[in-house]
Amino acid sequence: MKKYLTAYSIALQETLQRRWTLLMDRVGGFAVVLSLYSFWNVLLGDKASFLGYTRPEMLTYVLIINVLRSFVFTGRGWQLVGEISSGRVSSYLVRPLRYQGYALALDLAQKTIHVGSAFLEIGLLVLVARGVFIPRDPVAWALFTLAAVMASLIFFFLEFAVSTLAFWTSESGGPLFCFELFLQFAAGAFFPLDVLPEGLRRLLSATPFPYMVYFPARVLLQKIAPSEAVRLLGVEAAWLAVAAAVAAAAWNRGLLSYAAEGG
Amino acid sequence: MIEEIRRHARLWARTASMSMQAQLTYRLGSAGFLIGKAVRMVFFFAFVAAVFDHVKTVAGYTLLETALFFLTFNIVDMIAQIFFRGVYNARRTVNEGDFDFYLIQPCSPLLRMVCSSVDALDALTLIPVLVMTGVVLHRLPPLGWTRGLLYATLTLNAVGLVFAIHVAVAALTVRTQELENAIWIYRDVMFMGRFPVDVYAAPVRWALTFGVPIAVMTSFPAKAFLGLLSPAWTAYAFALTVVALAASLAFWRASVARYTSSSS
Repeated sequence: MKKYLTAYSIALQETLQRRWTLLMDRVGGFAVVLSLYSFWNVLLGDKASFLGYTRPEMLTYVLIINVLRSFVFTGRGWQLVGEISSGRVSSYLVRPLRYQGYALALDLAQKTIHVGSAFLEIGLLVLVARGVFIPRDPVAWALFTLAAVMASLIFFFLEFAVSTLAFWTSESGGPLFCFELFLQFAAGAFFPLDVLPEGLRRLLSATPFPYMVYFPARVLLQKIAPSEAVRLLGVEAAWLAVAAAVAAAAWNRGLLSYAAEGG
Repeated sequence: MIEEIRRHARLWARTASMSMQAQLTYRLGSAGFLIGKAVRMVFFFAFVAAVFDHVKTVAGYTLLETALFFLTFNIVDMIAQIFFRGVYNARRTVNEGDFDFYLIQPCSPLLRMVCSSVDALDALTLIPVLVMTGVVLHRLPPLGWTRGLLYATLTLNAVGLVFAIHVAVAALTVRTQELENAIWIYRDVMFMGRFPVDVYAAPVRWALTFGVPIAVMTSFPAKAFLGLLSPAWTAYAFALTVVALAASLAFWRASVARYTSSSS
Protein backbone atom coordinates (compact mmCIF):
# COMPACT_ATOMS: atom_id res chain seq x y z
CA MET A 1 0.00 0.00 0.00
CA LYS A 2 2.87 2.35 0.87
CA LYS A 3 4.29 2.22 -2.65
CA TYR A 4 0.93 3.26 -4.12
CA LEU A 5 0.72 6.13 -1.65
CA THR A 6 4.21 7.21 -2.73
CA ALA A 7 3.14 7.05 -6.39
CA TYR A 8 0.06 9.12 -5.48
CA SER A 9 2.18 11.71 -3.69
CA ILE A 10 4.69 12.02 -6.55
CA ALA A 11 1.89 12.30 -9.13
CA LEU A 12 0.25 14.99 -7.00
CA GLN A 13 3.45 17.02 -6.96
CA GLU A 14 3.97 16.51 -10.67
CA THR A 15 0.46 17.74 -11.50
CA LEU A 16 0.90 20.79 -9.28
CA GLN A 17 4.26 21.55 -10.85
CA ARG A 18 2.68 21.91 -14.31
CA ARG A 19 0.58 24.89 -13.23
CA TRP A 20 -0.03 26.36 -16.67
CA THR A 21 -1.31 23.07 -18.01
CA LEU A 22 -3.59 22.72 -15.01
CA LEU A 23 -4.85 26.29 -15.27
CA MET A 24 -5.61 25.92 -18.95
CA ASP A 25 -7.39 22.61 -18.37
CA ARG A 26 -9.57 24.30 -15.79
CA VAL A 27 -10.28 27.40 -17.87
CA GLY A 28 -11.35 25.12 -20.73
CA GLY A 29 -13.63 23.10 -18.44
CA PHE A 30 -15.09 26.29 -16.99
CA ALA A 31 -15.94 27.53 -20.49
CA VAL A 32 -17.95 24.36 -21.12
CA VAL A 33 -19.84 24.76 -17.83
CA LEU A 34 -20.53 28.44 -18.46
CA SER A 35 -21.76 27.59 -21.92
CA LEU A 36 -24.15 24.88 -20.69
CA TYR A 37 -25.42 27.03 -17.84
CA SER A 38 -26.16 29.93 -20.18
CA PHE A 39 -28.01 27.65 -22.56
CA TRP A 40 -30.20 26.18 -19.81
CA ASN A 41 -30.76 29.61 -18.33
CA VAL A 42 -32.19 30.82 -21.64
CA LEU A 43 -34.31 27.69 -21.96
CA LEU A 44 -35.79 28.25 -18.54
CA GLY A 45 -36.58 31.88 -19.34
CA ASP A 46 -39.58 32.87 -17.24
CA LYS A 47 -40.69 29.27 -16.71
CA ALA A 48 -40.80 27.83 -13.22
CA SER A 49 -39.22 24.60 -14.45
CA PHE A 50 -38.04 22.83 -17.58
CA LEU A 51 -38.12 19.04 -17.96
CA GLY A 52 -38.87 18.82 -14.26
CA TYR A 53 -35.85 20.93 -13.24
CA THR A 54 -36.28 24.29 -11.55
CA ARG A 55 -33.67 26.98 -12.22
CA PRO A 56 -31.67 26.24 -9.01
CA GLU A 57 -31.82 22.51 -9.78
CA MET A 58 -30.61 23.02 -13.35
CA LEU A 59 -27.80 25.31 -12.18
CA THR A 60 -26.83 22.68 -9.63
CA TYR A 61 -26.92 19.97 -12.31
CA VAL A 62 -24.49 21.98 -14.46
CA LEU A 63 -22.21 22.56 -11.47
CA ILE A 64 -22.29 18.89 -10.56
CA ILE A 65 -21.35 18.13 -14.16
CA ASN A 66 -18.23 20.23 -13.61
CA VAL A 67 -17.28 18.26 -10.50
CA LEU A 68 -18.14 14.87 -11.95
CA ARG A 69 -16.34 15.53 -15.24
CA SER A 70 -13.24 16.26 -13.15
CA PHE A 71 -13.76 13.32 -10.83
CA VAL A 72 -15.05 10.66 -13.21
CA PHE A 73 -13.61 11.36 -16.66
CA THR A 74 -9.92 11.54 -15.87
CA GLY A 75 -8.65 8.03 -16.47
CA ARG A 76 -5.27 6.75 -17.57
CA GLY A 77 -6.41 5.33 -20.90
CA TRP A 78 -4.29 7.40 -23.26
CA GLN A 79 -1.19 6.89 -21.10
CA LEU A 80 -1.80 3.13 -21.08
CA VAL A 81 -2.17 3.08 -24.87
CA GLY A 82 1.11 4.99 -25.19
CA GLU A 83 2.92 2.77 -22.72
CA ILE A 84 1.80 -0.46 -24.37
CA SER A 85 2.48 0.79 -27.91
CA SER A 86 5.96 2.07 -27.02
CA GLY A 87 6.85 -0.94 -24.87
CA ARG A 88 7.33 1.23 -21.78
CA VAL A 89 4.80 -0.90 -19.93
CA SER A 90 7.53 -3.59 -19.69
CA SER A 91 9.27 -1.53 -17.04
CA TYR A 92 6.18 -1.76 -14.82
CA LEU A 93 5.82 -5.49 -15.31
CA VAL A 94 9.20 -6.17 -13.73
CA ARG A 95 8.48 -3.97 -10.71
CA PRO A 96 6.93 -5.35 -7.51
CA LEU A 97 3.58 -3.64 -8.04
CA ARG A 98 0.26 -4.20 -9.78
CA TYR A 99 -0.10 -1.93 -12.79
CA GLN A 100 -3.82 -1.31 -12.13
CA GLY A 101 -3.09 -0.18 -8.57
CA TYR A 102 -0.29 2.06 -9.76
CA ALA A 103 -2.47 3.59 -12.48
CA LEU A 104 -5.29 4.08 -9.98
CA ALA A 105 -2.92 5.94 -7.62
CA LEU A 106 -1.83 8.28 -10.42
CA ASP A 107 -5.43 8.76 -11.49
CA LEU A 108 -6.47 9.56 -7.94
CA ALA A 109 -3.77 12.26 -7.72
CA GLN A 110 -5.09 13.89 -10.88
CA LYS A 111 -8.65 13.68 -9.59
CA THR A 112 -7.68 15.26 -6.27
CA ILE A 113 -6.30 18.36 -7.97
CA HIS A 114 -9.07 18.66 -10.52
CA VAL A 115 -11.91 18.18 -8.04
CA GLY A 116 -10.34 20.77 -5.75
CA SER A 117 -10.17 23.19 -8.68
CA ALA A 118 -13.72 22.33 -9.72
CA PHE A 119 -15.00 23.26 -6.26
CA LEU A 120 -13.16 26.59 -6.46
CA GLU A 121 -14.81 27.30 -9.82
CA ILE A 122 -18.18 26.31 -8.42
CA GLY A 123 -17.70 28.76 -5.56
CA LEU A 124 -17.02 31.46 -8.12
CA LEU A 125 -20.10 30.59 -10.18
CA VAL A 126 -22.31 30.36 -7.10
CA LEU A 127 -21.22 33.86 -6.12
CA VAL A 128 -22.08 35.18 -9.57
CA ALA A 129 -25.22 33.17 -10.31
CA ARG A 130 -26.70 32.49 -6.85
CA GLY A 131 -29.80 30.34 -6.34
CA VAL A 132 -28.05 26.97 -6.16
CA PHE A 133 -29.96 23.97 -4.83
CA ILE A 134 -28.00 22.68 -1.81
CA PRO A 135 -29.52 19.57 -0.23
CA ARG A 136 -29.79 19.73 3.54
CA ASP A 137 -30.22 15.98 4.01
CA PRO A 138 -26.85 14.36 4.85
CA VAL A 139 -28.19 11.08 3.42
CA ALA A 140 -28.33 12.70 -0.04
CA TRP A 141 -24.68 13.77 0.31
CA ALA A 142 -23.63 10.32 1.48
CA LEU A 143 -25.46 8.57 -1.36
CA PHE A 144 -24.06 11.07 -3.87
CA THR A 145 -20.49 10.53 -2.65
CA LEU A 146 -20.88 6.77 -2.87
CA ALA A 147 -22.41 6.99 -6.35
CA ALA A 148 -19.66 9.34 -7.55
CA VAL A 149 -16.84 7.16 -6.21
CA MET A 150 -18.29 4.07 -7.89
CA ALA A 151 -18.87 6.06 -11.11
CA SER A 152 -15.23 7.08 -11.12
CA LEU A 153 -14.10 3.49 -10.66
CA ILE A 154 -16.46 2.22 -13.37
CA PHE A 155 -15.00 4.75 -15.80
CA PHE A 156 -11.46 3.85 -14.77
CA PHE A 157 -11.99 0.15 -15.40
CA LEU A 158 -13.99 0.54 -18.61
CA GLU A 159 -11.43 2.92 -20.08
CA PHE A 160 -8.68 0.61 -18.91
CA ALA A 161 -10.36 -2.32 -20.68
CA VAL A 162 -10.76 -0.39 -23.94
CA SER A 163 -7.15 0.83 -23.73
CA THR A 164 -5.83 -2.71 -23.49
CA LEU A 165 -6.79 -3.06 -27.15
CA ALA A 166 -3.28 -1.63 -27.61
CA PHE A 167 -1.95 -5.10 -26.79
CA TRP A 168 -3.43 -6.38 -30.03
CA THR A 169 -3.36 -3.35 -32.31
CA SER A 170 -1.39 -0.14 -32.61
CA GLU A 171 -4.61 1.61 -33.64
CA SER A 172 -6.43 1.51 -30.32
CA GLY A 173 -6.48 5.32 -30.05
CA GLY A 174 -9.45 5.54 -32.43
CA PRO A 175 -11.73 3.17 -30.51
CA LEU A 176 -10.73 4.85 -27.24
CA PHE A 177 -11.58 8.29 -28.62
CA CYS A 178 -14.93 7.02 -29.86
CA PHE A 179 -15.67 5.29 -26.56
CA GLU A 180 -14.88 8.37 -24.48
CA LEU A 181 -17.01 10.69 -26.58
CA PHE A 182 -19.97 8.32 -26.64
CA LEU A 183 -19.68 7.73 -22.93
CA GLN A 184 -19.73 11.43 -22.04
CA PHE A 185 -22.97 11.97 -23.91
CA ALA A 186 -24.55 8.73 -22.72
CA ALA A 187 -23.58 9.55 -19.13
CA GLY A 188 -25.38 12.88 -19.18
CA ALA A 189 -22.16 14.91 -18.93
CA PHE A 190 -23.44 17.54 -21.34
CA PHE A 191 -27.16 17.56 -20.60
CA PRO A 192 -29.59 15.67 -18.35
CA LEU A 193 -30.76 12.51 -20.07
CA ASP A 194 -34.38 13.60 -19.41
CA VAL A 195 -34.13 15.62 -22.62
CA LEU A 196 -33.78 12.44 -24.71
CA PRO A 197 -36.76 10.50 -26.06
CA GLU A 198 -38.19 7.89 -23.70
CA GLY A 199 -37.06 4.90 -25.81
CA LEU A 200 -33.44 6.06 -25.98
CA ARG A 201 -33.42 6.85 -22.28
CA ARG A 202 -34.70 3.39 -21.45
CA LEU A 203 -32.05 1.85 -23.69
CA LEU A 204 -29.30 3.83 -21.95
CA SER A 205 -30.59 2.89 -18.51
CA ALA A 206 -29.72 -0.74 -19.32
CA THR A 207 -26.04 0.28 -19.61
CA PRO A 208 -23.57 1.48 -16.94
CA PHE A 209 -23.25 4.91 -18.59
CA PRO A 210 -26.04 6.88 -16.85
CA TYR A 211 -24.55 5.84 -13.50
CA MET A 212 -21.51 8.01 -14.17
CA VAL A 213 -23.08 11.48 -14.12
CA TYR A 214 -26.85 11.43 -14.51
CA PHE A 215 -27.55 9.13 -11.56
CA PRO A 216 -25.23 10.79 -8.98
CA ALA A 217 -26.53 14.22 -10.04
CA ARG A 218 -30.15 13.15 -9.57
CA VAL A 219 -29.28 11.64 -6.20
CA LEU A 220 -27.82 14.95 -5.01
CA LEU A 221 -30.81 16.85 -6.40
CA GLN A 222 -33.02 14.45 -4.41
CA LYS A 223 -34.91 13.51 -7.55
CA ILE A 224 -34.69 9.87 -6.50
CA ALA A 225 -36.20 8.56 -3.27
CA PRO A 226 -33.52 7.23 -0.85
CA SER A 227 -34.84 3.65 -1.02
CA GLU A 228 -34.77 3.70 -4.83
CA ALA A 229 -31.31 5.33 -4.72
CA VAL A 230 -30.02 2.51 -2.56
CA ARG A 231 -31.41 -0.05 -5.02
CA LEU A 232 -29.75 1.78 -7.93
CA LEU A 233 -26.50 1.96 -5.98
CA GLY A 234 -26.68 -1.83 -5.84
CA VAL A 235 -27.04 -1.91 -9.63
CA GLU A 236 -24.10 0.50 -9.93
CA ALA A 237 -22.02 -1.73 -7.67
CA ALA A 238 -22.86 -4.68 -9.92
CA TRP A 239 -21.72 -2.68 -12.97
CA LEU A 240 -18.52 -1.80 -11.10
CA ALA A 241 -17.84 -5.47 -10.44
CA VAL A 242 -18.46 -6.29 -14.12
CA ALA A 243 -16.20 -3.42 -15.29
CA ALA A 244 -13.40 -4.47 -12.90
CA ALA A 245 -13.66 -8.09 -14.05
CA VAL A 246 -13.62 -7.11 -17.73
CA ALA A 247 -10.59 -4.85 -17.18
CA ALA A 248 -8.70 -7.58 -15.31
CA ALA A 249 -9.54 -10.19 -17.94
CA ALA A 250 -8.54 -7.87 -20.79
CA TRP A 251 -5.26 -7.02 -19.05
CA ASN A 252 -4.40 -10.68 -18.39
CA ARG A 253 -5.29 -11.73 -21.95
CA GLY A 254 -3.39 -8.76 -23.32
CA LEU A 255 -0.25 -9.65 -21.42
CA LEU A 256 -0.28 -13.05 -23.10
CA SER A 257 -0.21 -11.29 -26.48
CA TYR A 258 2.28 -8.63 -25.44
CA ALA A 259 5.49 -8.68 -27.43
CA ALA A 260 7.21 -5.67 -25.81
CA GLU A 261 7.44 -3.91 -29.16
CA GLY A 262 9.75 -0.96 -28.98
CA GLY A 263 10.59 -1.73 -25.37
CA MET B 1 5.27 35.83 -56.24
CA ILE B 2 2.88 33.65 -58.25
CA GLU B 3 5.58 31.05 -58.70
CA GLU B 4 6.16 31.13 -54.94
CA ILE B 5 2.46 30.53 -54.23
CA ARG B 6 2.37 27.75 -56.81
CA ARG B 7 5.38 26.07 -55.23
CA HIS B 8 3.84 26.23 -51.77
CA ALA B 9 0.52 24.94 -53.10
CA ARG B 10 2.36 21.96 -54.62
CA LEU B 11 4.17 21.38 -51.36
CA TRP B 12 0.95 21.59 -49.38
CA ALA B 13 -0.79 19.15 -51.74
CA ARG B 14 2.11 16.74 -51.35
CA THR B 15 2.23 16.84 -47.53
CA ALA B 16 -1.59 16.74 -47.33
CA SER B 17 -1.65 13.67 -49.54
CA MET B 18 1.00 12.00 -47.37
CA SER B 19 -0.88 12.66 -44.13
CA MET B 20 -4.12 11.38 -45.69
CA GLN B 21 -2.37 8.21 -46.80
CA ALA B 22 -1.00 7.75 -43.30
CA GLN B 23 -4.51 8.07 -41.87
CA LEU B 24 -5.90 5.59 -44.36
CA THR B 25 -3.20 3.10 -43.39
CA TYR B 26 -4.59 3.06 -39.84
CA ARG B 27 -8.07 1.84 -40.69
CA LEU B 28 -9.31 0.78 -37.26
CA GLY B 29 -7.91 3.90 -35.60
CA SER B 30 -9.30 6.18 -38.29
CA ALA B 31 -12.70 4.45 -38.14
CA GLY B 32 -12.78 5.02 -34.38
CA PHE B 33 -11.96 8.71 -34.73
CA LEU B 34 -14.47 9.09 -37.57
CA ILE B 35 -17.28 7.38 -35.64
CA GLY B 36 -16.40 9.41 -32.53
CA LYS B 37 -16.70 12.69 -34.43
CA ALA B 38 -19.99 11.52 -35.96
CA VAL B 39 -21.30 10.50 -32.52
CA ARG B 40 -20.48 13.93 -31.10
CA MET B 41 -22.33 15.68 -33.89
CA VAL B 42 -25.34 13.35 -33.87
CA PHE B 43 -25.73 13.63 -30.09
CA PHE B 44 -25.60 17.42 -30.20
CA PHE B 45 -28.14 17.47 -33.00
CA ALA B 46 -30.36 15.05 -31.09
CA PHE B 47 -30.02 17.28 -28.04
CA VAL B 48 -30.95 20.47 -29.89
CA ALA B 49 -33.84 18.74 -31.69
CA ALA B 50 -35.07 17.22 -28.41
CA VAL B 51 -34.95 20.63 -26.72
CA PHE B 52 -37.22 21.99 -29.44
CA ASP B 53 -39.79 19.32 -28.58
CA HIS B 54 -40.33 21.31 -25.42
CA VAL B 55 -39.82 24.93 -26.52
CA LYS B 56 -40.62 26.92 -29.65
CA THR B 57 -37.57 29.19 -29.61
CA VAL B 58 -34.20 29.45 -27.89
CA ALA B 59 -33.04 33.04 -27.30
CA GLY B 60 -35.58 34.01 -29.93
CA TYR B 61 -34.33 31.57 -32.57
CA THR B 62 -36.37 28.76 -34.12
CA LEU B 63 -35.07 25.22 -34.55
CA LEU B 64 -33.88 25.90 -38.10
CA GLU B 65 -32.15 29.10 -37.08
CA THR B 66 -30.48 27.43 -34.10
CA ALA B 67 -29.40 24.60 -36.40
CA LEU B 68 -27.81 27.20 -38.69
CA PHE B 69 -25.73 28.55 -35.80
CA PHE B 70 -24.69 25.04 -34.81
CA LEU B 71 -23.83 24.06 -38.39
CA THR B 72 -21.85 27.26 -38.95
CA PHE B 73 -19.84 26.50 -35.83
CA ASN B 74 -19.14 23.03 -37.22
CA ILE B 75 -18.10 24.34 -40.65
CA VAL B 76 -15.60 26.82 -39.18
CA ASP B 77 -14.32 24.34 -36.61
CA MET B 78 -13.93 21.50 -39.11
CA ILE B 79 -12.16 23.64 -41.71
CA ALA B 80 -9.70 24.65 -38.99
CA GLN B 81 -9.25 20.99 -38.05
CA ILE B 82 -8.70 20.01 -41.67
CA PHE B 83 -6.22 22.69 -42.65
CA PHE B 84 -4.50 23.86 -39.47
CA ARG B 85 -4.02 20.51 -37.78
CA GLY B 86 -0.23 20.91 -37.65
CA VAL B 87 -0.47 23.24 -34.65
CA TYR B 88 -1.49 20.31 -32.46
CA ASN B 89 2.02 18.89 -32.97
CA ALA B 90 3.80 22.24 -32.67
CA ARG B 91 5.30 21.60 -29.26
CA ARG B 92 6.66 18.21 -30.30
CA THR B 93 7.98 19.70 -33.55
CA VAL B 94 9.90 22.33 -31.59
CA ASN B 95 11.06 20.15 -28.71
CA GLU B 96 12.31 17.30 -30.88
CA GLY B 97 14.23 19.68 -33.10
CA ASP B 98 12.18 19.15 -36.25
CA PHE B 99 11.54 22.88 -36.41
CA ASP B 100 15.25 23.38 -37.15
CA PHE B 101 14.75 21.37 -40.33
CA TYR B 102 11.70 23.44 -41.26
CA LEU B 103 13.87 26.56 -41.07
CA ILE B 104 16.45 25.30 -43.54
CA GLN B 105 13.92 23.99 -46.05
CA PRO B 106 13.16 26.17 -49.09
CA CYS B 107 9.59 26.89 -47.99
CA SER B 108 7.71 28.84 -45.37
CA PRO B 109 8.24 27.35 -41.88
CA LEU B 110 4.78 28.66 -41.00
CA LEU B 111 3.19 26.58 -43.73
CA ARG B 112 5.11 23.51 -42.56
CA MET B 113 4.20 24.12 -38.93
CA VAL B 114 0.50 24.98 -39.27
CA CYS B 115 -0.80 23.59 -42.55
CA SER B 116 1.27 20.59 -43.55
CA SER B 117 -0.86 18.07 -41.68
CA VAL B 118 -4.34 17.58 -43.10
CA ASP B 119 -7.07 15.73 -41.24
CA ALA B 120 -8.87 13.68 -43.88
CA LEU B 121 -11.39 12.42 -41.32
CA ASP B 122 -12.70 15.93 -40.71
CA ALA B 123 -12.88 16.41 -44.47
CA LEU B 124 -15.20 13.38 -44.57
CA THR B 125 -17.39 14.66 -41.74
CA LEU B 126 -17.53 18.12 -43.31
CA ILE B 127 -19.47 16.77 -46.31
CA PRO B 128 -22.68 15.90 -44.40
CA VAL B 129 -22.40 19.18 -42.48
CA LEU B 130 -22.29 21.15 -45.73
CA VAL B 131 -25.23 19.15 -47.07
CA MET B 132 -27.24 19.82 -43.90
CA THR B 133 -26.35 23.52 -44.04
CA GLY B 134 -27.61 23.61 -47.62
CA VAL B 135 -30.87 21.97 -46.52
CA VAL B 136 -31.30 24.41 -43.61
CA LEU B 137 -30.57 27.46 -45.78
CA HIS B 138 -33.05 26.15 -48.35
CA ARG B 139 -35.77 25.60 -45.75
CA LEU B 140 -35.42 29.04 -44.22
CA PRO B 141 -37.63 31.68 -45.82
CA PRO B 142 -36.05 33.03 -49.06
CA LEU B 143 -33.74 35.83 -47.97
CA GLY B 144 -31.97 36.75 -51.20
CA TRP B 145 -28.59 35.88 -52.66
CA THR B 146 -26.85 38.86 -51.03
CA ARG B 147 -27.50 37.33 -47.61
CA GLY B 148 -26.10 34.02 -48.86
CA LEU B 149 -23.03 35.78 -50.21
CA LEU B 150 -22.54 37.64 -46.93
CA TYR B 151 -22.90 34.36 -45.03
CA ALA B 152 -20.24 32.70 -47.18
CA THR B 153 -17.91 35.71 -46.93
CA LEU B 154 -18.24 35.96 -43.15
CA THR B 155 -17.67 32.22 -42.83
CA LEU B 156 -14.45 32.60 -44.84
CA ASN B 157 -13.58 35.58 -42.67
CA ALA B 158 -14.09 33.36 -39.62
CA VAL B 159 -11.66 30.82 -41.06
CA GLY B 160 -9.14 33.67 -41.44
CA LEU B 161 -9.64 34.56 -37.79
CA VAL B 162 -9.19 30.93 -36.72
CA PHE B 163 -6.01 30.83 -38.81
CA ALA B 164 -4.73 33.91 -36.97
CA ILE B 165 -5.34 32.19 -33.62
CA HIS B 166 -3.52 29.05 -34.80
CA VAL B 167 -0.57 31.13 -36.00
CA ALA B 168 -0.44 32.89 -32.62
CA VAL B 169 -0.44 29.54 -30.82
CA ALA B 170 2.35 28.25 -33.08
CA ALA B 171 4.34 31.43 -32.42
CA LEU B 172 3.80 31.05 -28.69
CA THR B 173 5.10 27.50 -28.86
CA VAL B 174 8.23 28.57 -30.77
CA ARG B 175 8.77 31.40 -28.30
CA THR B 176 8.24 29.43 -25.07
CA GLN B 177 8.62 25.74 -26.03
CA GLU B 178 5.77 25.20 -23.59
CA LEU B 179 2.04 25.82 -23.44
CA GLU B 180 1.16 22.47 -24.96
CA ASN B 181 -2.42 23.14 -23.91
CA ALA B 182 -2.76 26.52 -25.58
CA ILE B 183 -4.55 25.03 -28.54
CA TRP B 184 -6.74 22.89 -26.30
CA ILE B 185 -7.94 25.91 -24.35
CA TYR B 186 -8.98 27.38 -27.68
CA ARG B 187 -10.85 24.12 -28.43
CA ASP B 188 -12.68 24.23 -25.10
CA VAL B 189 -13.57 27.91 -25.36
CA MET B 190 -14.71 27.28 -28.92
CA PHE B 191 -17.34 24.97 -27.37
CA MET B 192 -19.21 28.16 -26.50
CA GLY B 193 -19.67 28.80 -30.21
CA ARG B 194 -22.05 25.85 -30.53
CA PHE B 195 -24.89 28.04 -29.31
CA PRO B 196 -25.96 31.49 -30.60
CA VAL B 197 -24.02 34.17 -28.73
CA ASP B 198 -27.35 35.64 -27.57
CA VAL B 199 -27.77 32.86 -25.00
CA TYR B 200 -24.93 34.34 -22.94
CA ALA B 201 -25.10 37.13 -20.40
CA ALA B 202 -23.93 40.57 -21.57
CA PRO B 203 -20.38 40.42 -20.07
CA VAL B 204 -19.77 36.99 -21.61
CA ARG B 205 -21.17 38.20 -24.94
CA TRP B 206 -18.81 41.14 -24.79
CA ALA B 207 -15.85 38.85 -24.04
CA LEU B 208 -16.83 36.56 -26.92
CA THR B 209 -17.04 39.49 -29.32
CA PHE B 210 -14.03 41.57 -28.31
CA GLY B 211 -11.84 39.27 -26.19
CA VAL B 212 -11.78 35.76 -27.62
CA PRO B 213 -13.87 36.47 -30.71
CA ILE B 214 -15.76 33.17 -30.85
CA ALA B 215 -18.96 35.08 -31.61
CA VAL B 216 -17.38 36.68 -34.68
CA MET B 217 -16.34 33.24 -35.90
CA THR B 218 -19.50 31.28 -35.28
CA SER B 219 -22.48 33.57 -34.68
CA PHE B 220 -21.81 36.48 -37.04
CA PRO B 221 -22.17 34.53 -40.32
CA ALA B 222 -25.51 33.01 -39.26
CA LYS B 223 -26.74 36.36 -37.93
CA ALA B 224 -25.79 38.03 -41.21
CA PHE B 225 -27.79 35.44 -43.13
CA LEU B 226 -30.81 36.03 -40.91
CA GLY B 227 -30.46 39.79 -41.42
CA LEU B 228 -29.58 40.45 -37.80
CA LEU B 229 -26.07 41.81 -38.29
CA SER B 230 -25.68 45.52 -38.88
CA PRO B 231 -23.17 46.85 -41.45
CA ALA B 232 -21.08 48.23 -38.57
CA TRP B 233 -20.70 44.77 -37.00
CA THR B 234 -19.97 43.29 -40.42
CA ALA B 235 -17.20 45.84 -40.91
CA TYR B 236 -15.92 45.08 -37.41
CA ALA B 237 -15.69 41.36 -38.26
CA PHE B 238 -13.58 41.98 -41.36
CA ALA B 239 -11.40 44.60 -39.66
CA LEU B 240 -10.80 42.30 -36.70
CA THR B 241 -9.60 39.53 -38.98
CA VAL B 242 -7.21 41.85 -40.80
CA VAL B 243 -5.77 43.14 -37.51
CA ALA B 244 -5.61 39.63 -35.98
CA LEU B 245 -3.84 38.23 -39.05
CA ALA B 246 -1.33 41.08 -39.14
CA ALA B 247 -0.66 40.82 -35.40
CA SER B 248 -0.30 37.03 -35.37
CA LEU B 249 2.02 37.03 -38.39
CA ALA B 250 4.16 39.74 -36.79
CA PHE B 251 4.25 37.69 -33.58
CA TRP B 252 5.25 34.61 -35.58
CA ARG B 253 8.10 36.46 -37.32
CA ALA B 254 9.32 37.88 -34.00
CA SER B 255 9.18 34.43 -32.37
CA VAL B 256 11.12 32.81 -35.20
CA ALA B 257 13.70 35.61 -35.09
CA ARG B 258 14.27 34.91 -31.36
CA TYR B 259 14.33 31.13 -31.80
CA THR B 260 17.66 29.64 -30.75
CA SER B 261 16.97 25.94 -31.38
CA SER B 262 15.69 24.01 -28.40
CA SER B 263 16.89 20.55 -29.32
CA SER B 264 19.81 18.83 -30.97
